[in-house]
Amino acid sequence: MIDAAYASWALLSRDLRAVSRSRSQLYSSLLFPLMLLALLGTGVSSGLAPTSPRILNGDYTSYLAPGMIAMTALFSSTFSSAGFYRDRESGLLRAMLASPHSAQTILFGKALGAILIGTVQALAVLVLAVVIPGIDLAWQFGWLGGVATVVVTILALNFMLSGISLLLAVRIKTMQGFHLIMNLVLFPLFFLSGAFFPLDQVPTWLEVIGYINPLTYAVDLLHYASYADSPDGLIGPLIDGLVLGGLAMLLFVFGLRRAPRAV
Amino acid sequence: MIGLLGPNGAGKSTILKMLSGEIEPQQGSVTIFDQPHGREARRRIGLVLQEPSTDDLMTLEETLQLHGRLFGLRGRTLHRRSDELLDSLGLGERAGDRCETLSGGLRRRLDLARSLLHEPELLLLDEPTLALDPDSSAAIWDTLSTRVSAGVAVVVCSNDTAEAEAYANRVVIVDEGQVVAEDTPASLTSGLLHDALELDWPSATGNDVAELERWPGVGTVLWTEDQIVLTVEESSEIVPHLFQRYGSQIDGIRIRESSLRDAWFQIVGRPLTNSREDER
Repeated sequence: MIDAAYASWALLSRDLRAVSRSRSQLYSSLLFPLMLLALLGTGVSSGLAPTSPRILNGDYTSYLAPGMIAMTALFSSTFSSAGFYRDRESGLLRAMLASPHSAQTILFGKALGAILIGTVQALAVLVLAVVIPGIDLAWQFGWLGGVATVVVTILALNFMLSGISLLLAVRIKTMQGFHLIMNLVLFPLFFLSGAFFPLDQVPTWLEVIGYINPLTYAVDLLHYASYADSPDGLIGPLIDGLVLGGLAMLLFVFGLRRAPRAV
Repeated sequence: MIGLLGPNGAGKSTILKMLSGEIEPQQGSVTIFDQPHGREARRRIGLVLQEPSTDDLMTLEETLQLHGRLFGLRGRTLHRRSDELLDSLGLGERAGDRCETLSGGLRRRLDLARSLLHEPELLLLDEPTLALDPDSSAAIWDTLSTRVSAGVAVVVCSNDTAEAEAYANRVVIVDEGQVVAEDTPASLTSGLLHDALELDWPSATGNDVAELERWPGVGTVLWTEDQIVLTVEESSEIVPHLFQRYGSQIDGIRIRESSLRDAWFQIVGRPLTNSREDER
């Protein structure tokens, strides 16, 4: 057990070092959500004057902020999976799997890196959202409780995304194929998560898809913790937590258990 | 040191993957150190893959640190072994450089250092000197020979019969997934006559081959599409006869001492295609 923890730590620290050296990954993960906040947020707020009661005072930029935090986690997870492919293509993953540790330990160590990096980057967007003038966040559970809820939500979201990435990456042999699947599946799911528009005012068929979508529960919890001034129109933290936590655990454990030794 | 010898696609790498525990055999079982394959066996095995397995963004030192930690090494022991191996393989001055700056030969040396870091009792290597410059090849074979002297068992895949003959204590010839011969290089070549003649002879016929087989002093005669290889007792006696009888038909001739390559030819019945000796 100690050996496995030591190995996971070695893999985690290696991935953190790799990301710190890949600055384009760091910058693009942060710049894209900020760009959307600035351009889409301002454009919709000013140009379309949204009237939904869920978008407080018609301020779409602030409404968008929790979704952008979730999107950063999604982007980061995709980038980290690219690291998995890089290790597989370079043969490094095979060399690591030849160690005494189980494939699960090796992939757990790599996934920890992706989760930590995704969480830190998402929280960096939260910090920027707090300090940028014009973005009004509200804390349902108080400032400390709100931040704690956001951190836990982002962690759970990253565990879930890592589970999905593991399931896909051990089966899809090329990075291009992986990105294609991520773009085809995850991005539509993200658009239907309530990150860009409230789900309670869309056609029923879209609303149903939205509530089947696991990302919806993460975005809902982020809205609840850091944006909404009341629970009206939201799913609520209990259901959000149960669905998100349950799926995160299930997908992550399932993803690890399905990992083969030969990659 | 055991040399697994065979052409590309013969099954050498698959055997190595089974020995390293990467894949399980569809039939039969693999026993390493009298135990079924598992975590303890992997702890005692060092593996060098066919392609360099390095991360461009990591330094050489970091590469060894990572693998050392995966094998439970830590602290001073890890640093000492890492430094010693880098020095012994001529990489000491590059320890802080990123792997992206290394040539193919230096990457292979780093792979070998990585595989030796935890002092394995069994070393598995898949074409460790493929496409390497002579200096890097020599550095790798020297290191392997030293380890063999120290009691480490080495299994090395190759399609280079010259290397196998020079370094392996035993050779296992693999063809189409089957072991077709297994012995010392000396025993495998002991039945061969002294010299080998390689004749470029596209127009040769079955009758020509049959006639050559009847000549005194000629051993095996192997005929491929445009080449005939024959082992002979004394090339200086046979070559004049050859040119006298078939001179106008033979485009070229190469004379060398018989080797494991001819033993391969004799055992398998066809040349070792795609071998690195062909490239040379």
